[in-house]
Amino acid sequence: MADYDVIIIGGGPAGLTAGLYAARVGLKSLLLERGIFGGQIVNARLVENYPGFPEGISGLELGEFMRRQATKYGLETRTTEVTGVRTGNAYEVSTTEGNIQTESIIIAAGSEYRKLDVAGEERLSGRGVSYCATCDGFFFRDREVAVVGGGDTAITDALELAQHCSKVYIIHRRDQLRATKALREKVFSHPKIELVWNTVVHEIEGDMMLRSLHLRNVKTGQSSNLEVDGVFVAVGLKPNSQVFSQLVTLDEAGFIVTDELMRTSAPGIFAAGDVRHNSFRQVITAAGDGATATSSAFKYLHE
Amino acid sequence: MPASSQARIIIFTGSSCPWCNRVKQYLKEKGFRFREVNVERDRDGARELQRRHIMGVPVVLIGSYPIVGFDKAKIDKLLGIKR
Repeated sequence: MADYDVIIIGGGPAGLTAGLYAARVGLKSLLLERGIFGGQIVNARLVENYPGFPEGISGLELGEFMRRQATKYGLETRTTEVTGVRTGNAYEVSTTEGNIQTESIIIAAGSEYRKLDVAGEERLSGRGVSYCATCDGFFFRDREVAVVGGGDTAITDALELAQHCSKVYIIHRRDQLRATKALREKVFSHPKIELVWNTVVHEIEGDMMLRSLHLRNVKTGQSSNLEVDGVFVAVGLKPNSQVFSQLVTLDEAGFIVTDELMRTSAPGIFAAGDVRHNSFRQVITAAGDGATATSSAFKYLHE
Repeated sequence: MPASSQARIIIFTGSSCPWCNRVKQYLKEKGFRFREVNVERDRDGARELQRRHIMGVPVVLIGSYPIVGFDKAKIDKLLGIKR
């Protein structure tokens, strides 16, 4: 007999919903989280598109509600990091605090911010390079900054920064934005925001603090220098799937491939939420994935 | 668990900073005591970071060593938190 019917890896909306459903159908279930419960939503000041909260709800609070609801029905949780999974009669999940046997696994490990991977980025992180406009924006009052990216997050960051910075450049590698129409229109008409199209950052320069960005136009190959005090990186997410790469099939970007029942290529292993290929990356879809994954795990355990 | 002789910890935070909440929650969970300085409100705190050329929060100052961002691996190492 394994220690658990199901181990859920990751404590965001996908994992907590999977845990809620698992506990309520009576599966002996354990959720492992390496950091803080709630996942990426704890970074959202206000979640406005999760139904049932017409005034919006803070991400931190929503995450805490989900955790409380799941543990109320008997979900066990542990703060520990998963370092590997071994296949045998049952699965063995290795963590930083020992090994645990389980009949099935739901991977809901989510994703994290992608970095630029350019020279100077690491060294000047916190010294002008930031990944959180909400956190660090106030350091740059009346200064000039750049945002790198073209999606909703980048544009929201730029609009927020433009409230207190003297100038905001948006550096985007394409010639159009991926962000929604409403956001695009706000940005195009904003007097303090300037778009720099078809351009990538290839080096971040500065001694003690960021001084300038080396840019390269991807169409013409031309290099240029942009002097700014801060750069905010918003170039998308990277799945936390490295630990599972030998276990289940991943797509080229590293996301876990599943069918519509959240089944991965390995029997008894399911995936849910942002870590999954083709995820819409919303709280509501992550929660839906979590419920489906548990339903599939339940069927797997009782067949 | 830390003894009463734990290193002095100051966490520099901002007013709307989810990572600041994360790092505070993490240290609380691990049983560490710390002082919080909100640099958006506290001018001396802001100057303290400026002096160190830091333009971001959270900053966890352990003794005199600053860690910028929620860098769990570094925090664990400096505080001797077992992984």
